[in-house]
Amino acid sequence: MSPRERLSAVLQHRVVDRPPVICPGGMMNAAVVEVMERTGCTLPAAHGSEELMAGLAIEVYERTGFENIGLPFCMTVEAEMLGSRIDMGSLSCEPKIEKEAYPSVDNVPVGDVQDLFASGRAAVVLGAIGRVSKMYPSVPVTGVVTGPLSLAASIVDPVTFFKELRKNREKAHQVMADVSDLISTFAKQMLKAGAGAITVADPSASGEILGPALFEEYAVKYLNEIVDATHAAHGHVIVHICGDLKSVRRHLGSIRADALSTDSVMSLSRIKEEFPLITTMGNVSTRLLSTGSAHRIGSTAEKLVRDGVDIIAPACGLDTHTPLKSIRALTDRVRACAP
Amino acid sequence: MRDKEELFQGLSDAIVAMDEDETVRLAEAVIDDKIDPYEAIEKGLSHGMERVGRLFEEEEYFVPEILICSDAMYAGLEVLKPHIKAVGTDRTHRVVIGVIEGDTHDIGKNLVKIMLEASRFEVFDLGRDVPPVRFLEKAKEVEADLIAISTLMTTTMEDMGRVIKLLQEDGVRGKFQVMVGGGPISKRFADRIGADGYAVNAGAAAKLAKGLLGGEA
Repeated sequence: MSPRERLSAVLQHRVVDRPPVICPGGMMNAAVVEVMERTGCTLPAAHGSEELMAGLAIEVYERTGFENIGLPFCMTVEAEMLGSRIDMGSLSCEPKIEKEAYPSVDNVPVGDVQDLFASGRAAVVLGAIGRVSKMYPSVPVTGVVTGPLSLAASIVDPVTFFKELRKNREKAHQVMADVSDLISTFAKQMLKAGAGAITVADPSASGEILGPALFEEYAVKYLNEIVDATHAAHGHVIVHICGDLKSVRRHLGSIRADALSTDSVMSLSRIKEEFPLITTMGNVSTRLLSTGSAHRIGSTAEKLVRDGVDIIAPACGLDTHTPLKSIRALTDRVRACAP
Repeated sequence: MRDKEELFQGLSDAIVAMDEDETVRLAEAVIDDKIDPYEAIEKGLSHGMERVGRLFEEEEYFVPEILICSDAMYAGLEVLKPHIKAVGTDRTHRVVIGVIEGDTHDIGKNLVKIMLEASRFEVFDLGRDVPPVRFLEKAKEVEADLIAISTLMTTTMEDMGRVIKLLQEDGVRGKFQVMVGGGPISKRFADRIGADGYAVNAGAAAKLAKGLLGGEA
């Protein structure tokens, strides 16, 4: 079974020999400093060049043992398209929003986004996906898009935005609908370029921030719009949400993604018990990966496999100083699991 | 003449109800009726925010609600503060707060700041992505009593310990209480790096700060 067939089968609820072990990309990428220093393919340069981004994605794939090729390497591409100012970071520090484009949802213009993909970093990402998927036809390329709440909170000042979810509902919904359109379009273009699956990473759509009512009203609604649009384009989609989800637990079953990835504070085996239909992904603690022994990392991975977690992956963004041998301890152990 | 206890309760209720207009209206009534504005802040605004903090801990309120309540509190403060007569000896406790370098998530830090200000601490906000040495410099500059450091990322938590090491190297560790918090932080971690306290959320952080500085803010 090729890695691409295995991931695709898992995302379609089919039985596989063992769970795949992946690192989706985006804010959850495996471009650790050790890989970059050994290969000379480095960030931040690779954020802005199709050739360098493809090159780094391939080096990460070849050296870490993850069974996917994940890109891009940040979650600022869409916010930059919409006018936010980005600090591109450094070798070891991911890009971040320096200044959001708008002070309030009231200032966000309604506009056609279709022609934003032909240039800038969106074109870099799509080009890089095209390159690597042609070179590695049997490996799933996972294209990562920023989730709708995280993107909206990256283009509108987040303190104002979170208040406006309650105080300015109509316009907040308008902005959420617009950014969801843009994200869906990006996801569809990634599929067209050759991506085998889409991951929507929405750290701000956390139950801890929103609480159950707003989580349902905004996060579930707009994540599902993106999921449905991706499905309509015959793509598979994984949704990643950060933080403790206990306050929004009852809504997890309403997210129509093909797999749900969570933070390491959540017990995926318990989520499976409660929602047998959810395909789970995760959730090896990134702190363990960064500071734990190879032995403990291996046994944690094995426990997740034993618990029936469908896709094994880091629980959140990796520390860029995570040692390569610790990552290999994770990937080697999962790959060695007998059917 | 309205009963002042009733006004204080009204202020507290208006904060909890996220009603900024009502908060301002009642604060103006406090001034009109020549009621002690300081008492109105303590028994009205701070009292309301304390209830908000409790609702947050009980998971009735979440981030958007706290932010809206705090807008009401700040609007009330703006009305009342200019009427407080300066008292020479009465120095409020000072806190330097910030998110450690490498992390740009500052919602949690902002909530702690709100709750500290609601408890009448004077807060100096370094913002997000703050290098460890800035905490030391700012704390010395403003003669702070407390340094509060937060992070949401496992990748940056070790640098919290750097701040404490810098304080030690500079010989000023004894001058400041240090408290830490944020998603990946635990009491055990706080103990390991030698912090004086750890709080699980913003409501608890304000209580902890009061505890560390000996009761009153």
